[in-house]
Amino acid sequence: MRRSFFFVAATIIAVFVYLWQQNMSMRMAYKVSSLQTDYDKLSSENDTLRLKINSILALEKMDKIAKEKKFSRPDEKYVVYIN
Amino acid sequence: MRKKKNRINRKTVLALMALSVFFLLFVKLIYLQIFLHARINRTVDKMVNRENIEVPKRGDILDSKGNILATSIKKYTIFFDAKMIDNFESLRKALSENGIKIKEKKLEDLKGLSYIPIAFDVDPFIAEKIKAAKFKGIGFETKYTRQYPQKRLLAHILGITDCDGLGLEGIEKICNVNLSGETVKTKIIRDGIGRVIRNKLVDVEDICGCNVELTIDRNIQFIAEQEIRKAFEKYKAKKAICIVQDPKTGKILAMVSLPDFDCSDKIKDIKCLKNCAISDLYEPGSTFKIVTVASALEEGKIKASDSLYLENGKFKIAGHTIKDDHKIEGSATLSRAFELSSNIGMIKIAQRMGNDVFYDYIRKFGFYSLTGIDLPGEAKGLLMDVKKWNALTLPNISFGQGIGVSALQIINAFSALANDGVLLKPFVIQKITKCNSEEEIFEKKEIRRVVSEDTARTMKKLLKNVVNLGTGKSAKIQGYTVGGKTGTAQKVDHSIKTYSTKYYIASFCGMVPAMNPELVILVIIDEPKGSSYYAASVASPVFANIAQRTAQYLGIEKDDVNVLTREVR
Repeated sequence: MRRSFFFVAATIIAVFVYLWQQNMSMRMAYKVSSLQTDYDKLSSENDTLRLKINSILALEKMDKIAKEKKFSRPDEKYVVYIN
Repeated sequence: MRKKKNRINRKTVLALMALSVFFLLFVKLIYLQIFLHARINRTVDKMVNRENIEVPKRGDILDSKGNILATSIKKYTIFFDAKMIDNFESLRKALSENGIKIKEKKLEDLKGLSYIPIAFDVDPFIAEKIKAAKFKGIGFETKYTRQYPQKRLLAHILGITDCDGLGLEGIEKICNVNLSGETVKTKIIRDGIGRVIRNKLVDVEDICGCNVELTIDRNIQFIAEQEIRKAFEKYKAKKAICIVQDPKTGKILAMVSLPDFDCSDKIKDIKCLKNCAISDLYEPGSTFKIVTVASALEEGKIKASDSLYLENGKFKIAGHTIKDDHKIEGSATLSRAFELSSNIGMIKIAQRMGNDVFYDYIRKFGFYSLTGIDLPGEAKGLLMDVKKWNALTLPNISFGQGIGVSALQIINAFSALANDGVLLKPFVIQKITKCNSEEEIFEKKEIRRVVSEDTARTMKKLLKNVVNLGTGKSAKIQGYTVGGKTGTAQKVDHSIKTYSTKYYIASFCGMVPAMNPELVILVIIDEPKGSSYYAASVASPVFANIAQRTAQYLGIEKDDVNVLTREVR
């Protein structure tokens, strides 16, 4: 009688563990997929922002703004180049 | 007893009924599982599993300092599924609030269509905003689009891609395989409420294309473009070219061809795509005289101090009269003849060598062969086979006519002299970085020694004298010694089938500092219009401006404090 009780209990526990593990793996899969989507979104946003920085700092654009603002070009001897 | 019998019968009937229900269910189950299972599996598979194609991001193109010259970013295409739309007007309003206007059409006109693209290249943050509103019947597709933040800068070097991201010109074409990356197919499982599980995690970094780093410095390129564009507009030239090269490594630091185009815009004139600096051939004129003088010095046929009789500026050869622009009475040293760019002097020097030796040196300097630059569309040049040369060929070529060269070949020949007589392979790609951070680095590659160190040194002195005392005075810059050669070549007028007296190519190729060059710069102005067409007044000042600004930007040590102070024009 006791043996059968333990057998039933062990079976129930085994089934429970199996179901729990299945359930958890599904939850984790959803979580990982959603994190991957977030990561893709962030990396795409990062690319867009990097492009924006480079577009803002484009020399052609700065030259155009300088011309529009009627900035005069300094004498070459007063220019200090920062490499 | 009868009652009992009736009860048994009723029970039996109920049991039989229940059994028959189960039996029918069992039969149905067998039918579904055995006969229909393939079809059902297919349907479920279609509903749940989706094949997902992970499109790789095309690699970036960077300059030598890591500034982005070309990159790809995700953009969205928004489309309608007219069958699913329930509130067309609110959808139209929401889109219009985000700057997307839909053509005035009624939903009824679109009914029956499940894919109606309405907006292309939508920025991700706008698409996300629309997505968040969760409208029914609207779909989003992502696609990488190529962006060039520097606009026109380096257009010819970078090239263009087609709508599918395939490189068609320039670095985009030559490095297409490296830049493209790897397309990966994955499976996604979608549950009843639309949540997604991916069967494989794909890191975008792992599949994206390699980054290509160029030898070009964005700032030097900008200086060169700014100065050459000014001259191009001032002289209303047909074309203008500028190349800046590091003679010690062969690296191209800047390369400009005008007219140019904006890589991000639609190309209106396909001719603009041609990179004239490597694809177009021209008769170099006097800049080619370095080949004549260097080869004669190397062969020991003449010394810098040797005297040449210059025929008082007119020399008859094979029934033709060759004239010098700067008339020299009587004799002059080789150095003086070179300073004043005497054509007659060059003919006499070339004649001392003879056809075969001169031809060999022309080939040794890299003319009539590809330089091997890592850009598409390089021209080999034009040079008649030495066996077919007539009495006028050698004299003509000695002062740079009767031969077709590319701008790249000319600057590479000057760089060979600047590099103590060793010809190097010019290159624009210095590094390709793979996704796993592995790097492929390209370094300088020697092609051959063209002349000895002594000859190269003598040539540098002669070129320095051209700038200090000869035709290249307008190429002088503040704080640095300069060596260089002017070239004013007549163009062939195809309508009269002879050299034109109207159309010229003005060029100047020089090196800074003169005796230990760190920069070689070539400026070519094709068909300058206006009061002067001479290289000394058209091309040399452009060279001076570019050389001054570039040398200062690179922090090249000043070697001449006595050079006259000169304002940048």
